[in-house]
Amino acid sequence: MTVLSIKDLNVSFATEAGDFHALKNVAFDIPEKTIVGIVGESGCGKSTLINSILGLLADNGRIDTGSIEFEGQELTKLDKATMRDLRGPRISAVFQDPMGALNPVLSVGEQMRNVQYRDAAPNSKKDARSVEMLESVRIPDAQHALSRYPHEFSGGMKQRIAIAMALMMRPGLLIADEPTTALDATLEVVMLELLKDLQQQVGCSILFISHHLGVIAELCDEVAVMYAGQVVERGTTAQVFAKPSHDYTRRLLECDPANQRERTRRLPTMSDEPGTFAPQPVPPRPARSEGEVPLLQVRDAKVTFKSGALFNRRTTLGVAGVSFDLYPGETIGLVGESGSGKTTLARATNRLQAISGGSITFEGKEVHELSARAMHHLRRDMSMMFQDPIGSLSPRMKVGDLVAEPFRIHRISNVNLKREVDRLLTVVGLGPEFAGRFPHQLSGGQARRVGVARAIALSPKLIVADEPTAGLDVSVQGGVLNLLNDLREEMGLSMIFITHNLNVVRHVADRIAVMYHGEFVEIGDAEEIFDSPSHDYTKKLLSANLAGPGHRV
Amino acid sequence: MLNYLIRRLALAVVIVSVAMLLLFSMIFLIPGDPAAVALGPRATDEMREALRIRMGLDKPVWLQFWNFYTNAWTGDLGTEVLSNRPVLTVVMEQLPYTLALIAGGIIWSVALGIPLGCWAAVARGSLADRIVGILSVAVIAVPSFVVAIYALLIFAVALQWLPAIGAGEPGNLGDQMVHLILPSLAVGLGWVGYIARMVRASMLEVLEAPHIRTARAFGLPDRLITYRYALSIAILPTITLLGVGIGQMLSSAVFAEIVFARPGIGKLVYDAILVRNFPLVTGAVLVTTVLFVLLNLIADLIVGALDPRVRSSF
Amino acid sequence: MSEFWKPIRRLLREPLGVLGVALVLLVIFCAVFADLLTAYDPTKISPRDRFLPPSADHWLGTDQLGRDLFSRVLYGGRIALYVALVSTAVSLAIGIVLGLIAGYGPRWLDNLMILVFDALKSFPTVMLALALVTLMGPSLTAVMIVVVLVNVPGYARIIRTQTIALKSSEFVTAAQSMGASTARILRVHVLPNVIGPLVILASMDIPVVIAIEAGMSFLGLGVRPPTPSWGSILNDGFASIRDTAWIAIAGGLPIIITTLGFTFLGETLRDVFDPRLKGR
Repeated sequence: MTVLSIKDLNVSFATEAGDFHALKNVAFDIPEKTIVGIVGESGCGKSTLINSILGLLADNGRIDTGSIEFEGQELTKLDKATMRDLRGPRISAVFQDPMGALNPVLSVGEQMRNVQYRDAAPNSKKDARSVEMLESVRIPDAQHALSRYPHEFSGGMKQRIAIAMALMMRPGLLIADEPTTALDATLEVVMLELLKDLQQQVGCSILFISHHLGVIAELCDEVAVMYAGQVVERGTTAQVFAKPSHDYTRRLLECDPANQRERTRRLPTMSDEPGTFAPQPVPPRPARSEGEVPLLQVRDAKVTFKSGALFNRRTTLGVAGVSFDLYPGETIGLVGESGSGKTTLARATNRLQAISGGSITFEGKEVHELSARAMHHLRRDMSMMFQDPIGSLSPRMKVGDLVAEPFRIHRISNVNLKREVDRLLTVVGLGPEFAGRFPHQLSGGQARRVGVARAIALSPKLIVADEPTAGLDVSVQGGVLNLLNDLREEMGLSMIFITHNLNVVRHVADRIAVMYHGEFVEIGDAEEIFDSPSHDYTKKLLSANLAGPGHRV
Repeated sequence: MLNYLIRRLALAVVIVSVAMLLLFSMIFLIPGDPAAVALGPRATDEMREALRIRMGLDKPVWLQFWNFYTNAWTGDLGTEVLSNRPVLTVVMEQLPYTLALIAGGIIWSVALGIPLGCWAAVARGSLADRIVGILSVAVIAVPSFVVAIYALLIFAVALQWLPAIGAGEPGNLGDQMVHLILPSLAVGLGWVGYIARMVRASMLEVLEAPHIRTARAFGLPDRLITYRYALSIAILPTITLLGVGIGQMLSSAVFAEIVFARPGIGKLVYDAILVRNFPLVTGAVLVTTVLFVLLNLIADLIVGALDPRVRSSF
Repeated sequence: MSEFWKPIRRLLREPLGVLGVALVLLVIFCAVFADLLTAYDPTKISPRDRFLPPSADHWLGTDQLGRDLFSRVLYGGRIALYVALVSTAVSLAIGIVLGLIAGYGPRWLDNLMILVFDALKSFPTVMLALALVTLMGPSLTAVMIVVVLVNVPGYARIIRTQTIALKSSEFVTAAQSMGASTARILRVHVLPNVIGPLVILASMDIPVVIAIEAGMSFLGLGVRPPTPSWGSILNDGFASIRDTAWIAIAGGLPIIITTLGFTFLGETLRDVFDPRLKGR
């Protein structure tokens, strides 16, 4: 039996620039008791699709043609009240942001009671049911949880509560919109297991939306691939991932770095013809000759944070004493989950953050003890790239000025600034015509390239790259990484590459340091770490890494 | 909770202290001899000198401030020259009238502003929303003393519906209420606009929040979403705004008291200026400042009591 | 089309914006060309013409000293606009500097400045004005000092809050990592991003400033007689409100027109330039 059947759905939005056709002839079915995944990159129409199903399209959106049939009812023709009666009992949803999923001023118990507002049952009975649901999503001390407020729970817990509420009325269909994307990888796998269990228990179908191929492969029975408002391919997960029939799917799968089993310096990109990509093996790390001096030497570096008001000062250790050497031309990957201290360590190496102990030396100079003048001079040799590709660009400056900024700051006047900016923009694959644009007029990938141009402007010796692929779609990621890699080889750069993405770092880094609670639990050759992790945390991290469909089928 | 209360009270004391320091330095920095100001042009040098000594103006500046500061905290704001009574007593006698006026203004603004703002947010983009929007901007723009005079002109002089002068017969509550209508409208009208706008804006913001989308996805009825899920959050910044607004209402109250010849702190100070009764002016400024800081604190405490996020950080 | 003209075109598409522009232009026009628009001297006393109701000769009537109210209203506009522009500009300059210092400077200085701002804001405006005037005597300078004291804490706080938010933003950290000096960061990366919203908010405060001037003049704390000000006309009207309503009306109308005009203009400007500020 089919729970949901979408046929020929067309949705458009009225905007100032005219109508925007968000969904084009979308069609797929969700059979009973199955998990169907929808995969697609940002802007492909995933959110519009779920809002159309839930009847929650924005005011300027409208369904032009097509049908959404749910349990035999035509949803596009339902009036608001009937649609509302379906939401909750029959169709329910969880969304991406666990922090904002619950009402902050109402207790968990009241919110769960409100979900059951259609029942005439007394409150005590409703509460009993809430406790039962909370227990099924494994909230500890569920009875007590009812009287607590959302801010008292962690992000993962909040998402569990949201799932409990969504499944409260035993709906036939649960729509899950990237529910695990904001969570750390180790938590993500736990949540996926939980969802699977609950789906069995409740006996519902799930429509699971994600941009993460590995997650889809892990969880879903069937998958539909969306691209530019269309479903370009659908079938069982095994079938689609093993033998993709549409060109877009093939390219998408191929440029997922998780699908490259061999370590490769260059990664495939969307423009590579599927099947033609040849991995470029990573050259073995040359043995360090005796007496070779490291470029950067970190010894027992510690960073402490002070927080709290006058009377209850607390200090927390951001970085709890780490040591490593970075040699010229080498790339070290820094991996760990959020809050592990990766970014703090990166800032400390660039003296954007004071250290409270240990030492950091760059070419023999004690970075944190240099005079302001000497430090200013040193900054020409060490540059940094930041997480948010657009947010790290000054919003009211044009791209040309942004790239020229390092020259202006260091008062470098013996170059033709305009020509230099054009050259840099060309090197990073944008071209001089971008010089006149503002950051908000760039895509994530373009903004990231501007960041690269700025980072290499003064030919530094070290680049600290903080999550350089964060916020980029898989299809753009490969291009940016290849660019960084080419530059690194050409200019002989050393790099500290910070990421939570294990599939990427495996190809990029020579050595990998695994960070946990401000410490390095393990550091070693990239290959070794992946093949034979020695520390428990590294093992846990690796097993939580949903290594992509290629590994599974 | 107690900890939070103590911290907030301590902050309030510090702010009032800084305010006293500012007031004192204003008196000190501005050219002119307070004794001469107080006595007027016909006083002799000997009289001025005598008063200077009585007012402590011959002592070093820091000692003058210290005396001013410590005396103020013990409630000694000096002596009112004409009646020879303590300034604090004179000011406190007038305070209830001003407080009643402000309370009236708050009632007007809350009773009209919150429903209008809610209504406009729910009917976003409709004609009603546009009209509420323009009206609230308009009443915010027009200064309260113009409202007071025009209200006096229309309702008391031309139509003669409501009394023009005074606070009503003592002991006759009904009469006092009737006398309160026009002045409190003048105090509160602008705030109807402020509150309507604030409620509308924060309602719209909350209605966009992900948890509202979640609530809709669970099929909760609109009424529950609007009033229980959205308004309970949207009301919080409105209360804070109202706390800050007390200061402006105090200013408006001064005008309303003068225009409607009502007793109150504003009238007291205004009359005091005409006879250059300086201690009375500083005393009244201090009392209203303390009042403002206290009412602000109360508004924050109410927000804290209503918002579990703040409550747990107490 | 350039980035600058687009919002202006959008402004002129909003009916409220057009009304605002029209009212403000009318007020400015009347104030600038006051001498051409009326033949009467606003301060000339003529006892024979006391309390004349509005007529063809005296469009708004005359006051208790026989002065022509229309010309007093026009010249009063000059005072109102002069006070509004000068004191807003001064408040902005002081507010921006103090806000940048508080936002980017050391923590203790920030705390101290916030304390002083909060203390200043806890004086009710009229009380502050009354205290100041008792000491200084009534004058336009006193009015402007009051306006600056009332406005600066708010402006400085806005700049401070935004500066603090930007201080930890990635693009400022990026500038630091490139070695940019504090002065350069403030000038190139911070100021351009904080000044726009503030100027719009300040333009929305112009009606408040006009109200403070008129209010203080109404209480006799602002301009000294016989200088015409809308507030002093209103006060003259208040004194004889039972018999001659037109004087009070003549004093109140220009205040209403001006504050409405500037408010409508400011509101629409804000919506057009910076929709995020809505509802402040």
